[in-house]
Amino acid sequence: MSTLTRYSAIPYTGPAPTNRAPYVPKNAEPANARGEAIATTLGNAAMTQERGQDMPTFLVERARIADVLRNLAENPDLAFILPLDCFGTDYPDREERFDVVYQLYSLKNNERIRLKVRVGENDTVPTSTGVFKSFDWFEREVFDMFGVRFEGHPNMRRILCHEAFQGHALRKDYDPAQRWILTEQNVARIIPKIDPRFATEDTDFERVTLNLGPSHPATHGTLRIVVTLDGEKIIGADAEIGYLHRCFEKMSETHTYQQVIPYTDRLNYCSAIINNVGYALAVEKLLGIEAPARAQQVRLMLSEFWRIADHIVCISANLVDIGALTNYWYLMQPREEIIGLTEACSGARLLPSYVRVGGLAVDVPSNFLEQAQRLVDMLPRYIDDVEKLIWKNRIFRERVQGVAVISKEDAINFGFTGPCLRACGVPYDVRKASPYIGYETYDWDVPIAEGGDTYARFLVRFEEMRQSLRILQQAIDRGLPAGPVIVDNPYVALPPKSKVYNEMESLIYHFKLIMHGIQPPVGETYFQVEGGNGELGFYVVSDGTKNPYRVRVRPPCFPLFEAFGQMITGQTIPDAIGALGSLNIIAGELDH
Amino acid sequence: MAITRVAPGIVRVERQPLTFSQRLYIPQILAGMMVTLGHLLKNLVNMKRMLIISYPEVKRVYSERFRGRHILTSREDGTTRCVACFMCSTACPAECITIEAGEDERTREKFPVRYDIDLLRCIFCGYCVDACPEDAIYMTRDYEMAIDTRARAVVGLRDLVVPPNFPVDPMGYRPYYGKIQKSGTAGGTGVGQPLRQAPFDDDTAPNPELYRGGNA
Repeated sequence: MSTLTRYSAIPYTGPAPTNRAPYVPKNAEPANARGEAIATTLGNAAMTQERGQDMPTFLVERARIADVLRNLAENPDLAFILPLDCFGTDYPDREERFDVVYQLYSLKNNERIRLKVRVGENDTVPTSTGVFKSFDWFEREVFDMFGVRFEGHPNMRRILCHEAFQGHALRKDYDPAQRWILTEQNVARIIPKIDPRFATEDTDFERVTLNLGPSHPATHGTLRIVVTLDGEKIIGADAEIGYLHRCFEKMSETHTYQQVIPYTDRLNYCSAIINNVGYALAVEKLLGIEAPARAQQVRLMLSEFWRIADHIVCISANLVDIGALTNYWYLMQPREEIIGLTEACSGARLLPSYVRVGGLAVDVPSNFLEQAQRLVDMLPRYIDDVEKLIWKNRIFRERVQGVAVISKEDAINFGFTGPCLRACGVPYDVRKASPYIGYETYDWDVPIAEGGDTYARFLVRFEEMRQSLRILQQAIDRGLPAGPVIVDNPYVALPPKSKVYNEMESLIYHFKLIMHGIQPPVGETYFQVEGGNGELGFYVVSDGTKNPYRVRVRPPCFPLFEAFGQMITGQTIPDAIGALGSLNIIAGELDH
Repeated sequence: MAITRVAPGIVRVERQPLTFSQRLYIPQILAGMMVTLGHLLKNLVNMKRMLIISYPEVKRVYSERFRGRHILTSREDGTTRCVACFMCSTACPAECITIEAGEDERTREKFPVRYDIDLLRCIFCGYCVDACPEDAIYMTRDYEMAIDTRARAVVGLRDLVVPPNFPVDPMGYRPYYGKIQKSGTAGGTGVGQPLRQAPFDDDTAPNPELYRGGNA
């Protein structure tokens, strides 16, 4: 059969993109039932359930949100103890125009919950920093982007935008092209609060305030940490972010669904494919479509390769920080091979933009599996060699053991996910907890470690690379399923070029799709994937037009870096640098 | 690394304390040095297999999908294939393409009088190639685009348009369409124009049979 006859599904008989019924997720009914059960268990009158969502969703009275969050966390049957996200959405036509959305996760029951608070322009919301420390920065971000004030927040100032910025960028009436210039005299001076443990200590040393970053070789990205030193000991630390803020969320609102994909590349640029996959899956969930099996497996394989590459960057850069330069040069070689494989598939090395909503941009090269097998055979040697160099090395051990410890409770309260949470002994991995693109069909284990220090994070990352290799080997053994790599739906995917050149109908679909974009039904959804350093979530709201109404990315680095100040207080500067590397903070994702 | 299974699907990586012999400083340093020394000797003996590319004397070869600098292809009679339909500039997420359209008085066909790509804005995502319904814009494997002024980053028709028989060799990301049946003046090429012909033979596309799953 020729390529031409294979795709003769035209005229397309599926639903047209406009005037469709609002989006109702597949799991809406169980979510509604579960929501009722939660409401009964909690018995809190401040909540009303919002039905037809992809997870139990409640509208909460503004004044009582902190109580509701506390109840949810402290109820032993529910135990929503992991704060995932807190963000705003703007609906200017409504009387109370802002939604502040909270998302929590229960490690015990493996379920999620979404709470919404409606806020008018002049209202304030009680802060929930007393319940979840994580929401300190998240609330600051909501204030920065929407101007919603949180009553009782200890440090209500901008976080991503600079001091000379006027207005609130994610409000719908804010012009996306508006720019503000920051001059030197406007820069606010940051003086970190001194930790009470050390405040009264009387020493002979003078206290010094020191800036690490924003352009410092040890920060691996434009991060700034202001520390107060007592001799060599850090007695207070404050982190300042936003130096790489590129308005990802605002720009998504001015571009079509397909055009957002290159933007997602630039979130975590050490594992760009995983961002592509997460975003594409979120939009596919909204559209109610599923990519073909071949595309799903390629997505999975490339995600795992890039997870290894992400860990390689983290481990090798971290080893440079603590003085082991050899490993860095050595480990860059397998990463280069992974980049080479990606380039052979997509045409770009670091920012592939390979995934499309509905599948992949083009099919993989014919020797993809052989190349993947070569990589899988090659990688263990590199991992073993680096292990040989560091594992039994006393200098390395003493630099990392017991450094920058975070307890299990603190890590959960700060909203840690990914390897950093697993290094505290919590076996939470999105790939196991809510499997996507077929992770449930592979035989692999979630590695955990005890201790929560830099050493434990090393242990987890090394083992995770091995587990990823296990998944990859199984995927290669299965072989790629035959078939197309993108859905055969002209309202979502461009028709093949051979038809565009030769058929009027396809040419029309081609023009329509480029000019009017994908138009998902009205609704909202959230989809999470396991990124290189934690849960990467995309919350997408559609108003039925070609541009997303709101795209929210849940960056896993954000809560990690938030806890960093606490983690390094009481340590020395070299230990702090080692700890920063082990958290794997990627500025592009942190600042979205 | 010692690994203990704590539950189905969960393994714990154990923290192993260093033994006495491992705590000895000098022997362990020497043992570590041996690993590095082994690599050094291996590289000295076999210099050709050293993992180094001496750029710019040696250049890396990229795949046929490499997304480098753009070109605009031409028809056999030398006119540009682009019909100024603005699809590429609409699809461009970085808004780096500026087009001004003109009309040929004889054939009544649109063509670009101005076609500028700002290479500093361009993010090389390949969306313009995907969007082009006229087979007009391709990407090459040219990745050396160093410039000394911002103004030079804006390339126009003069830099982009290539002659009809442009060689296949430097081509990068371009539509893969396998063996197409050329019929009539398909795809809006216009009246009186010669039949569409790709500047290279269709069969030389990287994986003609594999485009979107191929012939299953």
